[in-house]
This record gives sequence, structure tokens and C-alpha cells, in this order.
Amino acid sequence: MFRFLMLSVLGLCVFALPGQARPVSYPGGVTVMTMNNGDRNSLHIHYSPTAFYSVGYLAEYWRESETTLQMVQVNNLLKRWNNKDSQANLYLKSGIGAAYSDYGDFDHDSDMAAFTGIAADWESRRFFVSYSNRYNDFGEFGDFYMQSGRVGIAPYIGDYGDLHTWLMLEIDHNPESSDPLTYTPMVRFFKDVHLVEAGMSDRGEVLFNYVVRF
Amino acid sequence: MKKLSIFLVLGVLVLSSPAWALSKQVDVKINGLVCDFCAQAMEKVFGKQDEVADISVDLDTKIVTINMKDGQNMDDDFITKLITDSGYNVEEIMRHE
Repeated sequence: MFRFLMLSVLGLCVFALPGQARPVSYPGGVTVMTMNNGDRNSLHIHYSPTAFYSVGYLAEYWRESETTLQMVQVNNLLKRWNNKDSQANLYLKSGIGAAYSDYGDFDHDSDMAAFTGIAADWESRRFFVSYSNRYNDFGEFGDFYMQSGRVGIAPYIGDYGDLHTWLMLEIDHNPESSDPLTYTPMVRFFKDVHLVEAGMSDRGEVLFNYVVRF
Repeated sequence: MKKLSIFLVLGVLVLSSPAWALSKQVDVKINGLVCDFCAQAMEKVFGKQDEVADISVDLDTKIVTINMKDGQNMDDDFITKLITDSGYNVEEIMRHE
């Protein structure tokens, strides 16, 4: 029943969902992102030499497997469509580094780790839609695939510099999980260089993301 | 006679100058300007240019207004390059004195 309600909300929100922070900034821009949900906590700091790629550091902690990742991440803007009232992007996101875990049979073990995935988004000032996927290979700690989609709507359209508000719904799909779908309604606030997202999933897990761009 | 010659030369110079040589304000209509991060990108990129006094961004009209310092200017090709290198597209450049 809850899923049905969530899908109904999603259907309504298809007109109005907001977007995720972009993985590539303007030339010379530095972005700090921290993302926290029921599965993981992450910190990603990247620098964009041009508007078409960024290089950065990624740290992730996966709660259930108690796995820590330290990686170099590269994000490439493969294609951008600039329209009069909207913008769409296609990105390739990849990382390579090390994974560490002390969980279960692991005893302070570490191994090489990598991931790669595609991210796409379309947004106007009123609506937002995005999709991303990621294949993870954490060496001896296993490999898995995951994907995520988002829709958003801005209840009002603010001018540049105003506080912008978005109502969003994120759906995460982890096929190997016993409960593969997670629905997270959230609210996004965006002002100046700061972006904050807060929500709670259908499992009762808190989502909190913060992005600042310099 | 000498003064007349100078005025004639000045007149010819003024009339033959490219339009951008006189414009202090340039309005650039840009495709893809949909959020504050896009607007900030324009402010950062143009703010670094010595010729620019200040800029403002209107997300409703998708117009970036660039005010030049006295005696300074940028040609259309350079403005277009800055915007294209930032990941956006120029639709139109309008100049005002």
C-alpha cells in the first residue's frame, strides 16, 4: 500500500521534481558534496579544470558491510543539451582506489576497488528528472550494481539569489538486496552556493545531503 | 583648416569603428541557464576578466548583462568562447552604449 501511494506521488511529481548537484562545475570551480542515506555516507570533493570534466577525492562508508572506500574520482560531461528553457546532461562517472573492511570474516582487509556508471539529467526551472547507475567492484568485498532515479518539482520559481525550494522523490534500486527498492521523498533548499537536501525513506532512514560550490 | 582636418579624421574613425568598440554594456542571451549554479558560473567566468566592471544574470530572460570598464571591451568571438567553454550556448549578443 505504501508503495502504491509512493508511486502515485511519483506520478503526480513527474511534473515537478528538482535536480541533483552536477558532478562537473565551471572552469576552476571546486565543489564539496556530502551525501548520507540509509546505505552509505560519502564525501566527494572535486575540481573542474574545464566545464567538461572534474577530478576529485571520494570517501565512502557502506554501513551494512562496514566497508570504507578511498578513491580518486573522475567525472566526464559526455554531452550537454542547452535549450531555451531547459538543460540536459549525460555524464560518465568513474573511480578507482582502495576498499577496507573489518566486518565478519574480514580482518582489517583491504583490496583494490573501482566503479563506473552513467548519470543523466534534465531540468528546467520548474521540473527535474535524473537517472544514474553504477557498477561497483570492491575486490574481495564483492561487486554489485545499483541504479537510482529522481523526479522533482519547484513549487515556486525564485529569482537568482533567492531561496529555491524543490520537492523531490528519489527511487533507489539495488537488485541484489532483499528489499531492492527504496523510496525517499525529500525537500531541497538551494541558496547562493549552498544546497541542502533532507528526507526520509520508506524504511525510516534519514537522507541528508549538503553541497557547496566555490 | 587644420582643425577641420582633425574633425574629419575623427569622424571617419568613429564611423568606421566596429560596434563593440563603443559598447559599455553587452547583453548576452544564453541557452541552458536554468539554475543559480549556472548563473554563478557566468559571474565567476566573467568576473575574472579585466575588462569587466560587473555582470548581472536574469534567469527569467536568460540574459547575462556585462558592464565593461571605461575604455575596455570584448569582441563577440571572445564572449562566445567564454560562454561556450563554460558549457553553455550563445543565442544572441546585443550591445548598448
